[in-house]
Amino acid sequence: MIEAYLFTSSLKEFLRFRRLIPWLILGFGGMGLALIWPNLNPNTTPVDQYSIVTSTLVFHVLALAAAIFTTAIISQEVEQRTIVYILTRPVPRWKLLFMRYLAASTVVALVGAFGAVLVSVGVYKGGFLSNELLVKDIIAMAVGAFSYCALFLLVSLLINRAMIVCLLFAFGWETIVPNMPGEMYRLSVYSHVMAIAEHPTSTGGGAGSVASGLLNTNAISAGTAYATMFVMSAILLAISAVWFTTFEYVPREDAE
Amino acid sequence: MIQLERCSRWYGQVIGLNDVTCTIGPGLTALLGMNGAGKSTMMRLITGQIRPTTGKIEVFGMEPFSNSQVYRRLGYCPEIDNFYEHMTGRQFVYHLARLAEFTGPDASKRTEEVLEMVGMSDRAGRKIAGYSKGMRQRIKLAQAMLHNPEIVLLDEPLNGLDPVGRHEYIQLLHQLAEQGKIILVSSHILYEVEQMTSALLLLHRGRLLATGDLMVIRSLIDKHPHQIRIETSEPRKAASLLAGLPNVVSLSFAPGGEALQIEVRDPNAFYDSLTEISLKEGLALHGLSSPDNNLESVFKYLVEA
Repeated sequence: MIEAYLFTSSLKEFLRFRRLIPWLILGFGGMGLALIWPNLNPNTTPVDQYSIVTSTLVFHVLALAAAIFTTAIISQEVEQRTIVYILTRPVPRWKLLFMRYLAASTVVALVGAFGAVLVSVGVYKGGFLSNELLVKDIIAMAVGAFSYCALFLLVSLLINRAMIVCLLFAFGWETIVPNMPGEMYRLSVYSHVMAIAEHPTSTGGGAGSVASGLLNTNAISAGTAYATMFVMSAILLAISAVWFTTFEYVPREDAE
Repeated sequence: MIQLERCSRWYGQVIGLNDVTCTIGPGLTALLGMNGAGKSTMMRLITGQIRPTTGKIEVFGMEPFSNSQVYRRLGYCPEIDNFYEHMTGRQFVYHLARLAEFTGPDASKRTEEVLEMVGMSDRAGRKIAGYSKGMRQRIKLAQAMLHNPEIVLLDEPLNGLDPVGRHEYIQLLHQLAEQGKIILVSSHILYEVEQMTSALLLLHRGRLLATGDLMVIRSLIDKHPHQIRIETSEPRKAASLLAGLPNVVSLSFAPGGEALQIEVRDPNAFYDSLTEISLKEGLALHGLSSPDNNLESVFKYLVEA
């Protein structure tokens, strides 16, 4: 089964230890932040503590991880000029794209889940599994991973230097738009992912609230968020598949 | 069979290939041209990495762009020196074998076979990052030969190979050609091409200047008379006997005086006459050569034209 091989080989490639080092550091950084949080704000409850650290750090890391792993699907192959080896094999391009997307999304979801578990350990110590938000967070991260990856995949196919655009989206758009007035927050993936996570509403304002997208009330229901993310991902993937099958992917210097 | 029909490819305002029509059949054919002549563009068109801007290209009667049916029958060794550097040679070839639709055990078996074929079995366990240029070329050839393709395209394959490696590589190409495969090798080094084959496709600035057998191409270049060097102990006698022949354009004595340099229009007719005259007049000939009956001269004449 070529599909299974494409998936497992991509997964193996994305899970190489050297690739994972930054995410391990960030995960343990989240745990460290959770550990010292009571010192910074002694009045927070463990639920708030967990919620703030995950929504400020882990959910944003999810977008960052998606940007990095997704650009490795095709863009990196084009830049490293190794794309020629895979495009001259009898594998339909859409299949290649889709299986690599699945592998990248899985790794991004694992990175997010790993971060959430470590933050939970930082907050609840040995009883981290008693954290009621953890399971929903892991599900939300999986949905977020597949959605972000679908979005960034299309971006990486459409433009050169996609990483810059993806990072601007991850840290600019996804931080600003959830806090914008009116219904604008609905235009961010982050708001939908947080709707699935269903974190308790927190108040207070400040920089932490901005990063957590808490300046607005998120009125998206979990059901709507699931449906929106599913439809968005499906459409983006379909466009990506058509685009990748139709257009030429030769390294840039060769095309000039 | 590879067919290009009035095929052009533009990169923005730069033309990579200009109105090329040709057919490439079984055997070893060299794609010759200077850097920037359009060799790699032609390779990319045939391998379906890019599409022609105008014209048509067919491989086994099918359009090659993103065509799995073509890729099942085509092996490509690109010019690039880029690999998945963290992999070993064996892992790299195995990975591409799996992408060529081999099952796990078959891919392992075939990987070992092609590594053996290119002489890399003993070194394939090392990381590609540590490979020499020659080893990289061999690994590239191995991945191109994995699925025993009917068409093998090799873009500048001899770059970086040592003399023994070159010899082995060329021998291997001849063996593949003898099996009836279509082998297209691009090169800008005339000496290499001359060692490989006399079947040529000659590109210059995107245009196909000539196609066919080297000797036939040379014979068709009328503008430049053929040069023939005759070594003899009686150059003056030879000059007086040959000067009157109808095909002779010019005649001069080579430095040292033991040879004549003659320019003729129809070399075959001249050789017939020379044989007749030397027998009839008892003219002793010690050597006969044709200094411009080689690829370098043909290339020079065509490019200058």
